Amino acid sequence: MFGDLERTPRTLLVCERSSFLDEKNRLSSQVEQLHFNYKVSMLLPECSSAPSHLEAVFNSINSFYLIRKLPIHELLDKHFLETAVHQGRVSGLSYGTRIDEDNCVALMPNGHLSLSLDKDSFEVLGVEGKPSRFNQRTNSRFVVSVDLTDSSMAPGGRGYQRLVTGLKSRLQLKTDFLLSHPPGCGASLHAFLSRYDWSEHKPEIRSHTLTDLSSPLLTSDLQSCDPRRLLEWLGAVDAHVSCENSSSSFLSSLVCPEPRTRLSQALSVSVCGLLRPQDVQQLIQQIRCYLEQPRLENWVSLTVHGFVDSPVSWGGEEHGVLRGGDNFYSLLMFHDHTYQLHLATGAHDTCPP
Amino acid sequence: MSVFMDLNVSFSAERSRMTKLIEAAAHLGFSTVAINYVFEPMAKKKLEIPMPTPVKELIDQLPVVQGRSRPIRVLNRLTVVMSDSSHFRPNATEYRGFDLLAVQPTTEKLFHAACMLYDVDIICISVTEKLPFFFKRAPVNGAMDRGVVFEVSYSAAIRDSTRRRYTIANAVSLMESCKGKVPLPPLELRGPYDITNLGLLFGLSEGDAKEAVSSTCRSVVLHAESRKSASGIIYTMKTCSESSSQQEALAADLGEAPAAKRAKPHLTQ
Repeated sequence: MFGDLERTPRTLLVCERSSFLDEKNRLSSQVEQLHFNYKVSMLLPECSSAPSHLEAVFNSINSFYLIRKLPIHELLDKHFLETAVHQGRVSGLSYGTRIDEDNCVALMPNGHLSLSLDKDSFEVLGVEGKPSRFNQRTNSRFVVSVDLTDSSMAPGGRGYQRLVTGLKSRLQLKTDFLLSHPPGCGASLHAFLSRYDWSEHKPEIRSHTLTDLSSPLLTSDLQSCDPRRLLEWLGAVDAHVSCENSSSSFLSSLVCPEPRTRLSQALSVSVCGLLRPQDVQQLIQQIRCYLEQPRLENWVSLTVHGFVDSPVSWGGEEHGVLRGGDNFYSLLMFHDHTYQLHLATGAHDTCPP
Repeated sequence: MSVFMDLNVSFSAERSRMTKLIEAAAHLGFSTVAINYVFEPMAKKKLEIPMPTPVKELIDQLPVVQGRSRPIRVLNRLTVVMSDSSHFRPNATEYRGFDLLAVQPTTEKLFHAACMLYDVDIICISVTEKLPFFFKRAPVNGAMDRGVVFEVSYSAAIRDSTRRRYTIANAVSLMESCKGKVPLPPLELRGPYDITNLGLLFGLSEGDAKEAVSSTCRSVVLHAESRKSASGIIYTMKTCSESSSQQEALAADLGEAPAAKRAKPHLTQ
C-alpha cells in the first residue's frame, strides 16, 4: 500500500540545448505551439532596472478583453466567424472555469474550438466528441473538438447547425471569456463585444530588484546545473522564497544549486495576462539584443506559464489537472546565442514538443 | 472528474456557525455541501427524527464558490446511528425531507444488513475506535453493486495521534476490501486537494483519491435522487408558492420530470 506513497504524480520535463544561430532550432515552433500564456517571468542578473527597449516591448503588448457570461454559441456567429476566426489569429479561453470541475472552452488561433465538458453537459449537448484521455475508471469528462475553418462547419452546414442548436437551446453554455486579438483587429470586434458586459485589460507588469542573491553558476557549455534544481531555484526566486536555508528558519529548506556565485543585484520582472506567442517571441528577441552587449553575467532566464485551467496545451493537445496543472517552459539564454530550454508538464498532459 | 462536494457538514443549532461553515466550504472550493443531521435512537427514550432546517434559515445568501461563478448548493442528509435493527425504519416518512440517507452500523450483523438490504446512500464507518468487526469482501461488494458508498470519517484523526493510527489502520483495511472503489471522506473543512492527499495515506491512488471527493459524491447524490423517485420513473413534488432563491434552484433541479433515460443536466452544478 505504501508503495503508492513513494510514487509522486507523473511529471514530464523535456530539456533541450541549442543555439539561435542553428537553422534547425525549433524554438520558434515550440513557442508558437503554446497558444495561451498566462505569465512570463524574467530574471536579469546584475541588472537594476529594465532596459528601455524591453520596457518598450512591455508597453506594446496588446490588451485583451474579458467578456462576462458570454453564451458560447456566439463564437459561432456568422459575422464573428468571418471577421475574426477566418481572418485568423483571434484566440480565447474561458475564465473562472476549472478544468477538472467545470465546462471549459478554448478557441485557438487556427480556428479550432475545443470544449471540455463534464458528462452531463456532453450528453445534453448531443454533438460528437471523445472521452478525455485522462479519465479514471469512468468517463466523466469529454472533449468536443471542432475545426471552424473546415467546410463541414461552414454556416448552414449540418455540423454547424447541430452545434449551434446544441449550444443555443440544449446546453446554453455561458462562461466568462478572455479574448485576445492581433494588433489592429480590436475595432472590428467591438461590434461583437458591445452585446455583452466586456472590459479591456492590459497585461499586468511587476518588477522587483533583488539584492545580494545566491545564484548558480550558469555557463553555456556542458550542463553545469541539473535542470530540476535550476527550475526549483528559478521558481523560488520568482516566488520570493529564501534559498538561504538558515538554521533558524523552518519555512524553506530550498537551496541554491552548486556551484554557486553571489549576485549583488538582479531584476525579476513578470508580465501577467492573456499573452500571445508573438508577444513571447518579441520578448525573446529583445533579450537577445540585451545579451549582445558585454555584461557582468552572461545569461538571462525567461519562463512562460500556460494557463492551469486551459483545455489545451502545446499544439492543441488536451490538458488536465490532477493535482496541479503546470504547463510551462523555461528558456535560459546566453551571450553566445546558445540556449537551454526546459519544457515541463504535469500528470494530465501529453509530452511537450 | 466532477465538482468537489463535501457531504458531511455537521449540523449545529447555532446559525452563525452554520453560516461560517458554508462560507468556508465555498471559499475552499466545494460546489456542494450536505448538512448532516445525526440521529441516534436510544432504547429507553423515544426520540423524534429531526426535521431539516430550511436552508434559508441557515444562511441568507448562498456564497459563490471560489474560482467558479455559481453559488454553493446545500443539501440535507440524515445519518442514523444503529445499534439495533429496529433503529432504521425503511420508507419512514420522516426520511423524505432529506436528500441523502446514511446509516452508521455498530455491529457486524447490522453492517451486513446495511450493505445488502437497507435502502440508503451511504454507510458510515467510524474509524476512531478499534472496530468490533472486520470488513468481509461479500457485503462490501454487495453494497458497491447497489451503488451504496462507504464513508470514512477522519476529522478526529487530525486532532489526535492515537486516533490517527486507528483511522489509518481501519481505513486501509476497508480500502483493501473495497479494492479501491472509493469511499468518500467527510471533513472538518479542509480543501478538496488536502483530502485527496489524505486519501493517499489510506491507500488510494492519485486519481481514486480525487474521485473520492468529486465523482463518487456525484454518484451518491444521483443515487439518492433515484432512490427518492423510485428509480427515476415517478416523481412527485410539492409545489411551494413562496420560496427563497435556493429552494427555487433546488426545486428547479429536482422538478425536471425525469423519464427513465433522461440525462440529468443540473445535478453537478
